[in-house]
Amino acid sequence: MVLQFENVVKSYGSVRALDGLSFSLERNEIVALLGPNGAGKTTALEVALGLRSPDAGSVTLFGGSPRTLAARRRLGVTPQESGFPDMLAVGEIVAFVRRHYESPADEAQTLEAFGLRDLRKRRAGTLSGGEARRLALALAFVGNPELIVLDEPSAGLDVQARRGLWEFVREPGLRRSILFTTHYLEEAQALASRILVIDRGRLLFDGTSEVLRERVGGRRLTYVGENGPVVLNVGDTDAYVRDLVASGAAFKDLEITKPSLEEAFLLLTGGAA
Amino acid sequence: MSALGLVRAHVKVQFLDLLRWPGYVVPTVVFPAMFYALFDLPFARAHAEVADTTALAFIAFAIVGVTLYQFGVGIAQERGRPWERYLRTLPVGAGVRLCSRIATAVLFGLITAAVVAAVARALTPIDLRLLQWLQVLLFSIAGGVPFVLIGVSIGYWTSARAAVPIATACNLLLAYAGGLWIPPQYLPDFVQRISPYLPTRMFADLLWSVTGTGRAPAALTGLALYTLVFAVVATIGYRRDERKRYA
Repeated sequence: MVLQFENVVKSYGSVRALDGLSFSLERNEIVALLGPNGAGKTTALEVALGLRSPDAGSVTLFGGSPRTLAARRRLGVTPQESGFPDMLAVGEIVAFVRRHYESPADEAQTLEAFGLRDLRKRRAGTLSGGEARRLALALAFVGNPELIVLDEPSAGLDVQARRGLWEFVREPGLRRSILFTTHYLEEAQALASRILVIDRGRLLFDGTSEVLRERVGGRRLTYVGENGPVVLNVGDTDAYVRDLVASGAAFKDLEITKPSLEEAFLLLTGGAA
Repeated sequence: MSALGLVRAHVKVQFLDLLRWPGYVVPTVVFPAMFYALFDLPFARAHAEVADTTALAFIAFAIVGVTLYQFGVGIAQERGRPWERYLRTLPVGAGVRLCSRIATAVLFGLITAAVVAAVARALTPIDLRLLQWLQVLLFSIAGGVPFVLIGVSIGYWTSARAAVPIATACNLLLAYAGGLWIPPQYLPDFVQRISPYLPTRMFADLLWSVTGTGRAPAALTGLALYTLVFAVVATIGYRRDERKRYA
Protein backbone atom coordinates (compact mmCIF):
# COMPACT_ATOMS: atom_id res chain seq x y z
CA MET A 1 0.00 0.00 0.00
CA VAL A 2 1.45 3.34 -1.03
CA LEU A 3 -1.15 5.78 0.24
CA GLN A 4 -4.29 5.24 2.26
CA PHE A 5 -7.04 7.65 3.31
CA GLU A 6 -9.49 6.37 5.90
CA ASN A 7 -12.53 8.50 6.68
CA VAL A 8 -10.50 11.66 6.49
CA VAL A 9 -12.28 14.80 7.66
CA LYS A 10 -10.83 18.27 7.29
CA SER A 11 -12.71 21.51 7.90
CA TYR A 12 -11.74 25.15 7.47
CA GLY A 13 -14.04 26.98 9.84
CA SER A 14 -17.53 25.93 8.88
CA VAL A 15 -16.49 24.56 5.49
CA ARG A 16 -15.95 20.82 5.27
CA ALA A 17 -13.25 20.39 2.65
CA LEU A 18 -12.97 16.64 3.20
CA ASP A 19 -15.99 14.82 4.56
CA GLY A 20 -15.04 11.23 5.34
CA LEU A 21 -12.82 10.63 2.32
CA SER A 22 -11.49 7.10 1.92
CA PHE A 23 -9.38 5.69 -0.88
CA SER A 24 -6.12 3.90 -1.39
CA LEU A 25 -3.33 3.85 -3.90
CA GLU A 26 -1.35 0.73 -4.68
CA ARG A 27 2.14 0.27 -6.02
CA ASN A 28 2.61 1.15 -9.71
CA GLU A 29 -0.83 2.68 -10.08
CA ILE A 30 -1.45 5.94 -11.91
CA VAL A 31 -4.49 7.55 -10.38
CA ALA A 32 -6.30 10.72 -11.46
CA LEU A 33 -8.17 12.73 -8.87
CA LEU A 34 -11.05 14.56 -10.51
CA GLY A 35 -13.62 16.93 -9.12
CA PRO A 36 -15.17 20.33 -9.71
CA ASN A 37 -13.51 23.44 -8.26
CA GLY A 38 -13.80 23.41 -4.49
CA ALA A 39 -14.42 19.65 -4.37
CA GLY A 40 -11.50 19.15 -1.97
CA LYS A 41 -8.83 17.95 -4.43
CA THR A 42 -6.15 20.37 -3.25
CA THR A 43 -6.91 19.70 0.40
CA ALA A 44 -6.72 15.95 -0.25
CA LEU A 45 -3.27 16.35 -1.79
CA GLU A 46 -2.09 18.64 1.02
CA VAL A 47 -3.19 16.09 3.60
CA ALA A 48 -1.48 13.30 1.65
CA LEU A 49 1.77 15.31 1.61
CA GLY A 50 1.65 16.17 5.30
CA LEU A 51 1.18 19.87 4.61
CA ARG A 52 -2.11 19.67 6.49
CA SER A 53 -3.21 17.35 9.22
CA PRO A 54 -6.69 15.80 9.19
CA ASP A 55 -9.24 16.68 11.87
CA ALA A 56 -10.39 13.05 11.98
CA GLY A 57 -9.61 9.81 10.21
CA SER A 58 -6.16 8.64 9.22
CA VAL A 59 -3.73 9.11 6.36
CA THR A 60 -0.84 6.73 5.90
CA LEU A 61 1.93 7.20 3.38
CA PHE A 62 4.12 4.10 2.93
CA GLY A 63 2.68 2.75 6.16
CA GLY A 64 3.51 5.79 8.30
CA SER A 65 2.68 9.43 8.83
CA PRO A 66 3.26 11.63 5.76
CA ARG A 67 5.31 13.91 8.01
CA THR A 68 8.05 11.37 8.68
CA LEU A 69 11.35 11.59 6.85
CA ALA A 70 11.06 7.91 5.92
CA ALA A 71 7.82 8.60 4.00
CA ARG A 72 9.18 11.76 2.36
CA ARG A 73 12.26 9.94 1.07
CA ARG A 74 9.93 7.97 -1.20
CA LEU A 75 7.88 10.97 -2.33
CA GLY A 76 8.28 13.48 -5.15
CA VAL A 77 6.20 16.66 -5.37
CA THR A 78 5.92 19.66 -7.69
CA PRO A 79 6.44 23.06 -6.08
CA GLN A 80 4.29 26.00 -7.13
CA GLU A 81 6.04 27.36 -10.18
CA SER A 82 5.98 30.94 -8.91
CA GLY A 83 8.06 30.16 -5.88
CA PHE A 84 11.63 29.33 -6.91
CA PRO A 85 14.51 31.27 -5.40
CA ASP A 86 14.96 33.91 -8.12
CA MET A 87 18.73 33.91 -8.24
CA LEU A 88 19.35 30.17 -8.46
CA ALA A 89 19.95 28.59 -11.86
CA VAL A 90 17.69 25.82 -13.15
CA GLY A 91 20.54 23.28 -12.99
CA GLU A 92 21.39 24.29 -9.41
CA ILE A 93 17.81 23.83 -8.23
CA VAL A 94 17.53 20.41 -9.88
CA ALA A 95 20.88 19.31 -8.39
CA PHE A 96 19.86 20.63 -4.97
CA VAL A 97 16.59 18.70 -4.85
CA ARG A 98 18.28 15.60 -6.27
CA ARG A 99 20.74 15.52 -3.36
CA HIS A 100 17.91 14.77 -0.93
CA TYR A 101 17.28 11.32 -2.37
CA GLU A 102 19.18 8.09 -1.98
CA SER A 103 18.89 6.69 -5.51
CA PRO A 104 17.94 9.66 -7.67
CA ALA A 105 17.40 9.79 -11.41
CA ASP A 106 20.20 10.92 -13.69
CA GLU A 107 20.42 14.70 -13.61
CA ALA A 108 21.22 15.26 -17.27
CA GLN A 109 18.50 12.86 -18.39
CA THR A 110 15.91 14.56 -16.23
CA LEU A 111 16.85 17.99 -17.59
CA GLU A 112 16.64 16.58 -21.10
CA ALA A 113 13.29 14.89 -20.52
CA PHE A 114 11.63 18.12 -19.40
CA GLY A 115 13.22 20.29 -22.05
CA LEU A 116 15.46 22.05 -19.57
CA ARG A 117 18.88 21.20 -20.97
CA ASP A 118 19.34 24.54 -22.68
CA LEU A 119 17.90 26.37 -19.68
CA ARG A 120 20.37 24.83 -17.24
CA LYS A 121 22.19 28.10 -16.58
CA ARG A 122 19.12 30.34 -16.59
CA ARG A 123 18.11 31.98 -13.32
CA ALA A 124 14.77 30.76 -12.02
CA GLY A 125 13.53 34.33 -11.74
CA THR A 126 13.74 34.80 -15.51
CA LEU A 127 11.78 31.69 -16.56
CA SER A 128 8.50 31.96 -18.42
CA GLY A 129 5.39 30.33 -16.95
CA GLY A 130 5.74 27.20 -19.07
CA GLU A 131 9.47 26.86 -18.38
CA ALA A 132 8.92 27.22 -14.63
CA ARG A 133 6.20 24.60 -14.87
CA ARG A 134 8.61 22.18 -16.54
CA LEU A 135 11.19 22.83 -13.83
CA ALA A 136 8.56 22.12 -11.17
CA LEU A 137 7.72 18.81 -12.84
CA ALA A 138 11.38 17.86 -13.19
CA LEU A 139 11.79 18.31 -9.42
CA ALA A 140 9.02 15.80 -8.71
CA PHE A 141 10.77 13.20 -10.87
CA VAL A 142 14.47 13.85 -10.23
CA GLY A 143 14.56 11.98 -6.90
CA ASN A 144 13.27 8.88 -8.66
CA PRO A 145 10.72 8.43 -5.85
CA GLU A 146 8.17 5.63 -5.52
CA LEU A 147 5.23 8.02 -5.37
CA ILE A 148 4.89 11.19 -7.39
CA VAL A 149 2.13 13.65 -6.58
CA LEU A 150 1.28 16.22 -9.25
CA ASP A 151 -1.24 19.01 -8.83
CA GLU A 152 -2.58 20.03 -12.25
CA PRO A 153 0.58 18.81 -14.02
CA SER A 154 -0.22 20.09 -17.48
CA ALA A 155 -1.73 23.45 -16.57
CA GLY A 156 0.27 26.08 -18.44
CA LEU A 157 2.05 23.60 -20.71
CA ASP A 158 1.87 23.89 -24.47
CA VAL A 159 0.68 20.88 -26.47
CA GLN A 160 4.19 19.65 -27.17
CA ALA A 161 5.31 19.85 -23.55
CA ARG A 162 2.10 18.13 -22.46
CA ARG A 163 2.73 15.21 -24.81
CA GLY A 164 6.29 15.01 -23.50
CA LEU A 165 5.02 14.85 -19.94
CA TRP A 166 2.52 12.13 -20.83
CA GLU A 167 5.22 10.03 -22.41
CA PHE A 168 7.35 10.44 -19.35
CA VAL A 169 4.52 9.53 -16.98
CA ARG A 170 3.64 6.43 -18.98
CA GLU A 171 7.25 5.38 -19.47
CA PRO A 172 7.27 1.64 -18.92
CA GLY A 173 9.80 -0.08 -16.72
CA LEU A 174 9.81 2.59 -14.03
CA ARG A 175 8.23 1.18 -10.91
CA ARG A 176 6.40 4.04 -9.34
CA SER A 177 2.94 5.29 -8.49
CA ILE A 178 1.54 8.62 -9.58
CA LEU A 179 -1.35 10.57 -8.10
CA PHE A 180 -2.43 13.64 -10.03
CA THR A 181 -5.27 16.12 -10.21
CA THR A 182 -6.40 17.54 -13.51
CA HIS A 183 -9.06 19.60 -15.19
CA TYR A 184 -8.49 17.80 -18.48
CA LEU A 185 -10.60 14.68 -18.65
CA GLU A 186 -8.70 13.70 -21.76
CA GLU A 187 -5.56 13.62 -19.65
CA ALA A 188 -7.17 11.47 -16.98
CA GLN A 189 -8.37 9.05 -19.64
CA ALA A 190 -5.00 8.93 -21.39
CA LEU A 191 -2.82 8.45 -18.33
CA ALA A 192 -4.72 7.06 -15.39
CA SER A 193 -5.22 3.40 -14.69
CA ARG A 194 -7.88 4.44 -12.20
CA ILE A 195 -10.01 7.53 -11.69
CA LEU A 196 -11.27 8.95 -8.42
CA VAL A 197 -14.06 11.50 -8.59
CA ILE A 198 -14.66 13.58 -5.49
CA ASP A 199 -17.15 16.32 -4.75
CA ARG A 200 -17.88 18.17 -1.51
CA GLY A 201 -15.07 16.21 0.13
CA ARG A 202 -16.57 12.81 -0.60
CA LEU A 203 -15.63 10.02 -2.96
CA LEU A 204 -18.26 9.66 -5.68
CA PHE A 205 -16.51 7.21 -7.96
CA ASP A 206 -13.51 4.90 -7.89
CA GLY A 207 -12.74 2.86 -11.00
CA THR A 208 -11.50 2.91 -14.57
CA SER A 209 -12.57 5.53 -17.10
CA GLU A 210 -14.41 2.77 -19.02
CA VAL A 211 -16.56 1.96 -16.02
CA LEU A 212 -17.17 5.65 -15.40
CA ARG A 213 -18.47 6.09 -18.92
CA GLU A 214 -20.67 3.03 -18.63
CA ARG A 215 -22.17 4.56 -15.51
CA VAL A 216 -24.07 7.06 -17.58
CA GLY A 217 -25.77 4.22 -19.38
CA GLY A 218 -27.33 4.33 -22.81
CA ARG A 219 -25.89 5.83 -25.94
CA ARG A 220 -25.87 9.24 -27.43
CA LEU A 221 -27.85 9.50 -30.62
CA THR A 222 -27.70 12.47 -32.95
CA TYR A 223 -29.24 13.17 -36.34
CA VAL A 224 -30.63 16.00 -38.39
CA GLY A 225 -34.40 15.64 -38.61
CA GLU A 226 -37.17 17.60 -40.30
CA ASN A 227 -37.04 20.29 -37.61
CA GLY A 228 -33.25 20.52 -37.31
CA PRO A 229 -30.59 18.68 -35.28
CA VAL A 230 -31.64 16.24 -32.57
CA VAL A 231 -29.47 15.04 -29.67
CA LEU A 232 -30.82 12.29 -27.47
CA ASN A 233 -29.63 10.00 -24.72
CA VAL A 234 -31.34 6.68 -25.35
CA GLY A 235 -31.34 3.38 -23.46
CA ASP A 236 -32.21 1.07 -26.37
CA THR A 237 -30.84 2.68 -29.51
CA ASP A 238 -31.79 -0.27 -31.74
CA ALA A 239 -35.49 0.06 -30.90
CA TYR A 240 -35.33 3.82 -31.31
CA VAL A 241 -33.80 3.57 -34.78
CA ARG A 242 -36.38 0.95 -35.89
CA ASP A 243 -39.19 3.25 -34.73
CA LEU A 244 -37.59 6.23 -36.42
CA VAL A 245 -37.34 4.41 -39.76
CA ALA A 246 -40.86 2.99 -39.41
CA SER A 247 -42.31 6.46 -38.77
CA GLY A 248 -41.24 7.45 -42.28
CA ALA A 249 -39.88 10.79 -41.09
CA ALA A 250 -36.96 12.23 -43.07
CA PHE A 251 -33.57 12.23 -41.29
CA LYS A 252 -29.87 12.21 -42.10
CA ASP A 253 -26.41 12.05 -40.46
CA LEU A 254 -27.46 9.49 -37.88
CA GLU A 255 -24.72 8.87 -35.32
CA ILE A 256 -24.62 6.71 -32.23
CA THR A 257 -21.81 7.23 -29.72
CA LYS A 258 -20.92 6.13 -26.23
CA PRO A 259 -21.18 8.97 -23.73
CA SER A 260 -17.89 10.82 -23.27
CA LEU A 261 -15.98 10.86 -20.02
CA GLU A 262 -16.92 14.49 -19.71
CA GLU A 263 -20.62 13.71 -19.85
CA ALA A 264 -20.18 10.97 -17.30
CA PHE A 265 -18.31 13.34 -15.07
CA LEU A 266 -20.92 16.08 -15.39
CA LEU A 267 -23.69 13.64 -14.61
CA LEU A 268 -21.86 12.36 -11.55
CA THR A 269 -21.08 15.75 -10.08
CA GLY A 270 -24.40 17.34 -10.90
CA GLY A 271 -23.30 19.43 -13.83
CA ALA A 272 -20.47 21.44 -12.31
CA ALA A 273 -17.24 20.79 -14.19
CA MET B 1 22.61 11.48 1.85
CA SER B 2 24.29 12.21 5.18
CA ALA B 3 22.96 15.00 7.38
CA LEU B 4 26.22 16.90 6.99
CA GLY B 5 26.06 16.63 3.20
CA LEU B 6 22.51 17.97 3.28
CA VAL B 7 23.52 20.89 5.49
CA ARG B 8 26.22 21.69 2.94
CA ALA B 9 23.73 21.51 0.08
CA HIS B 10 21.35 23.87 1.88
CA VAL B 11 24.10 26.30 2.84
CA LYS B 12 25.26 26.34 -0.76
CA VAL B 13 21.89 27.31 -2.24
CA GLN B 14 21.19 29.86 0.50
CA PHE B 15 24.59 31.39 -0.05
CA LEU B 16 24.33 31.49 -3.84
CA ASP B 17 20.87 33.02 -3.63
CA LEU B 18 22.21 35.73 -1.30
CA LEU B 19 25.45 36.48 -3.13
CA ARG B 20 23.66 37.13 -6.40
CA TRP B 21 21.78 40.10 -4.98
CA PRO B 22 24.55 42.71 -5.11
CA GLY B 23 22.10 45.35 -3.93
CA TYR B 24 21.78 43.35 -0.75
CA VAL B 25 25.29 41.97 -0.34
CA VAL B 26 27.35 45.12 -0.88
CA PRO B 27 25.59 47.39 1.64
CA THR B 28 25.31 44.58 4.19
CA VAL B 29 28.99 43.75 3.98
CA VAL B 30 30.22 47.33 3.79
CA PHE B 31 27.97 49.01 6.35
CA PRO B 32 29.67 47.89 9.62
CA ALA B 33 33.11 48.70 8.22
CA MET B 34 31.88 52.11 7.10
CA PHE B 35 30.36 52.77 10.51
CA TYR B 36 33.64 51.76 12.08
CA ALA B 37 35.62 54.06 9.80
CA LEU B 38 33.34 57.03 10.49
CA PHE B 39 33.11 56.76 14.26
CA ASP B 40 36.10 54.99 15.67
CA LEU B 41 38.89 55.38 13.19
CA PRO B 42 39.99 58.83 14.46
CA PHE B 43 40.49 57.44 18.01
CA ALA B 44 41.78 54.07 16.91
CA ARG B 45 44.56 55.55 14.82
CA ALA B 46 46.12 57.19 17.88
CA HIS B 47 46.54 54.17 20.19
CA ALA B 48 47.13 50.50 19.50
CA GLU B 49 45.12 49.56 22.57
CA VAL B 50 42.06 51.57 21.48
CA ALA B 51 42.54 50.20 18.00
CA ASP B 52 42.32 46.62 19.29
CA THR B 53 39.26 47.26 21.42
CA THR B 54 37.24 49.17 18.84
CA ALA B 55 38.06 46.83 15.94
CA LEU B 56 37.01 43.79 17.98
CA ALA B 57 33.80 45.53 19.07
CA PHE B 58 32.95 46.32 15.45
CA ILE B 59 33.72 42.75 14.43
CA ALA B 60 31.04 41.74 16.93
CA PHE B 61 28.72 44.45 15.56
CA ALA B 62 29.22 43.15 12.01
CA ILE B 63 28.33 39.60 13.00
CA VAL B 64 25.34 40.64 15.12
CA GLY B 65 24.02 42.79 12.26
CA VAL B 66 24.07 39.92 9.80
CA THR B 67 22.95 37.12 12.08
CA LEU B 68 20.29 38.87 14.12
CA TYR B 69 18.98 41.46 11.71
CA GLN B 70 19.40 40.03 8.22
CA PHE B 71 18.42 36.48 9.09
CA GLY B 72 15.58 37.48 11.37
CA VAL B 73 14.05 39.60 8.65
CA GLY B 74 14.88 36.98 6.01
CA ILE B 75 13.04 34.20 7.82
CA ALA B 76 10.02 36.38 8.56
CA GLN B 77 9.74 37.19 4.86
CA GLU B 78 10.43 33.70 3.57
CA ARG B 79 8.39 31.49 5.81
CA GLY B 80 5.12 32.14 3.99
CA ARG B 81 6.57 31.58 0.51
CA PRO B 82 5.75 28.62 -1.74
CA TRP B 83 9.39 27.51 -1.80
CA GLU B 84 9.36 27.05 2.00
CA ARG B 85 6.24 24.97 1.64
CA TYR B 86 7.89 22.85 -1.02
CA LEU B 87 10.99 22.29 1.14
CA ARG B 88 8.70 20.79 3.77
CA THR B 89 7.82 17.98 1.37
CA LEU B 90 11.49 17.11 0.79
CA PRO B 91 13.15 14.49 2.98
CA VAL B 92 14.99 16.95 5.20
CA GLY B 93 14.43 17.50 8.90
CA ALA B 94 14.00 20.74 10.82
CA GLY B 95 17.39 20.16 12.49
CA VAL B 96 19.29 20.15 9.21
CA ARG B 97 17.41 23.24 8.06
CA LEU B 98 18.17 25.13 11.28
CA CYS B 99 21.84 24.12 11.22
CA SER B 100 22.17 25.26 7.63
CA ARG B 101 20.62 28.61 8.51
CA ILE B 102 23.05 29.06 11.38
CA ALA B 103 26.00 28.09 9.18
CA THR B 104 24.98 30.44 6.36
CA ALA B 105 24.39 33.31 8.78
CA VAL B 106 27.68 32.83 10.61
CA LEU B 107 29.62 32.48 7.36
CA PHE B 108 28.08 35.63 5.96
CA GLY B 109 28.73 37.38 9.28
CA LEU B 110 32.38 36.35 9.12
CA ILE B 111 32.76 37.86 5.66
CA THR B 112 31.31 41.12 6.94
CA ALA B 113 33.60 41.00 9.98
CA ALA B 114 36.59 40.32 7.73
CA VAL B 115 35.99 43.66 5.99
CA VAL B 116 36.09 45.43 9.37
CA ALA B 117 39.30 43.56 10.23
CA ALA B 118 40.83 44.51 6.87
CA VAL B 119 40.06 48.20 7.40
CA ALA B 120 41.51 48.02 10.91
CA ARG B 121 44.65 46.28 9.65
CA ALA B 122 45.13 48.82 6.89
CA LEU B 123 44.44 52.03 8.77
CA THR B 124 45.10 51.53 12.48
CA PRO B 125 48.00 50.33 14.62
CA ILE B 126 45.97 47.25 15.60
CA ASP B 127 48.33 44.76 17.14
CA LEU B 128 47.14 41.16 16.97
CA ARG B 129 49.29 38.16 16.16
CA LEU B 130 48.20 35.34 13.89
CA LEU B 131 47.30 33.13 16.82
CA GLN B 132 45.15 35.91 18.24
CA TRP B 133 43.38 36.39 14.92
CA LEU B 134 42.60 32.68 14.87
CA GLN B 135 41.19 33.04 18.37
CA VAL B 136 39.07 35.96 17.15
CA LEU B 137 37.80 33.76 14.32
CA LEU B 138 36.88 30.94 16.69
CA PHE B 139 35.15 33.27 19.16
CA SER B 140 33.33 35.02 16.32
CA ILE B 141 31.81 31.73 15.24
CA ALA B 142 30.86 30.70 18.79
CA GLY B 143 29.58 34.18 19.65
CA GLY B 144 27.52 34.39 16.48
CA VAL B 145 25.37 31.36 17.30
CA PRO B 146 23.09 32.93 19.96
CA PHE B 147 22.46 35.90 17.65
CA VAL B 148 21.36 33.66 14.82
CA LEU B 149 18.92 32.07 17.25
CA ILE B 150 17.66 35.50 18.35
CA GLY B 151 17.25 36.26 14.64
CA VAL B 152 15.41 32.99 14.04
CA SER B 153 13.16 33.78 17.03
CA ILE B 154 12.33 37.21 15.61
CA GLY B 155 11.74 35.57 12.23
CA TYR B 156 9.19 33.13 13.57
CA TRP B 157 7.49 35.33 16.14
CA THR B 158 6.94 38.47 14.05
CA SER B 159 5.19 39.11 10.76
CA ALA B 160 7.11 39.98 7.59
CA ARG B 161 6.30 43.66 8.08
CA ALA B 162 6.95 43.88 11.82
CA ALA B 163 10.24 42.02 11.55
CA VAL B 164 12.13 44.98 10.02
CA PRO B 165 11.47 47.55 12.77
CA ILE B 166 11.72 44.99 15.56
CA ALA B 167 15.00 43.52 14.29
CA THR B 168 16.37 47.04 13.68
CA ALA B 169 15.51 48.11 17.23
CA CYS B 170 17.01 44.95 18.76
CA ASN B 171 20.14 45.24 16.65
CA LEU B 172 20.82 48.93 17.33
CA LEU B 173 19.83 48.98 21.02
CA LEU B 174 21.82 45.85 21.79
CA ALA B 175 24.84 47.17 19.88
CA TYR B 176 24.71 50.50 21.71
CA ALA B 177 24.04 49.21 25.23
CA GLY B 178 26.44 46.31 24.77
CA GLY B 179 29.27 48.77 24.20
CA LEU B 180 29.97 47.85 20.59
CA TRP B 181 30.02 51.47 19.39
CA ILE B 182 31.14 53.29 22.52
CA PRO B 183 33.40 51.58 25.08
CA PRO B 184 31.20 50.48 28.01
CA GLN B 185 32.87 52.80 30.50
CA TYR B 186 31.62 55.82 28.51
CA LEU B 187 28.00 54.67 28.46
CA PRO B 188 25.46 56.46 30.72
CA ASP B 189 25.29 55.04 34.26
CA PHE B 190 22.04 53.14 33.99
CA VAL B 191 23.12 51.59 30.69
CA GLN B 192 26.40 50.57 32.29
CA ARG B 193 24.43 48.72 34.96
CA ILE B 194 22.47 46.56 32.50
CA SER B 195 25.22 46.28 29.90
CA PRO B 196 27.03 43.25 31.42
CA TYR B 197 23.84 41.16 31.10
CA LEU B 198 23.37 41.80 27.40
CA PRO B 199 24.51 39.21 24.85
CA THR B 200 26.26 41.86 22.76
CA ARG B 201 28.38 42.87 25.74
CA MET B 202 29.21 39.23 26.41
CA PHE B 203 30.20 38.82 22.76
CA ALA B 204 32.44 41.89 23.01
CA ASP B 205 33.95 40.62 26.28
CA LEU B 206 34.65 37.29 24.62
CA LEU B 207 36.52 38.98 21.78
CA TRP B 208 38.28 41.41 24.11
CA SER B 209 39.57 38.46 26.11
CA VAL B 210 41.90 37.79 23.20
CA THR B 211 43.82 40.96 24.10
CA GLY B 212 43.39 40.35 27.84
CA THR B 213 40.69 42.94 28.59
CA GLY B 214 37.64 40.66 28.86
CA ARG B 215 36.86 37.50 30.79
CA ALA B 216 36.22 34.63 28.40
CA PRO B 217 34.73 32.02 30.79
CA ALA B 218 32.05 34.37 32.13
CA ALA B 219 31.22 35.63 28.63
CA LEU B 220 31.02 32.11 27.22
CA THR B 221 28.76 30.97 30.06
CA GLY B 222 26.44 33.92 29.48
CA LEU B 223 26.36 33.35 25.72
CA ALA B 224 25.67 29.65 26.25
CA LEU B 225 22.72 30.62 28.42
CA TYR B 226 21.39 32.96 25.71
CA THR B 227 21.92 30.20 23.15
CA LEU B 228 19.86 27.82 25.25
CA VAL B 229 17.05 30.31 25.91
CA PHE B 230 16.73 31.39 22.29
CA ALA B 231 17.04 27.85 20.98
CA VAL B 232 13.89 27.17 23.00
CA VAL B 233 12.17 30.41 21.92
CA ALA B 234 13.07 29.73 18.28
CA THR B 235 11.84 26.14 18.47
CA ILE B 236 8.53 27.17 20.04
CA GLY B 237 8.17 29.88 17.41
CA TYR B 238 8.90 27.38 14.64
CA ARG B 239 6.36 24.90 16.01
CA ARG B 240 3.76 27.62 16.46
CA ASP B 241 4.20 28.77 12.86
CA GLU B 242 4.05 25.13 11.75
CA ARG B 243 0.80 24.55 13.63
CA LYS B 244 -0.76 27.68 12.15
CA ARG B 245 0.45 27.17 8.61
CA TYR B 246 0.29 23.42 8.26
CA ALA B 247 -2.58 22.56 10.61
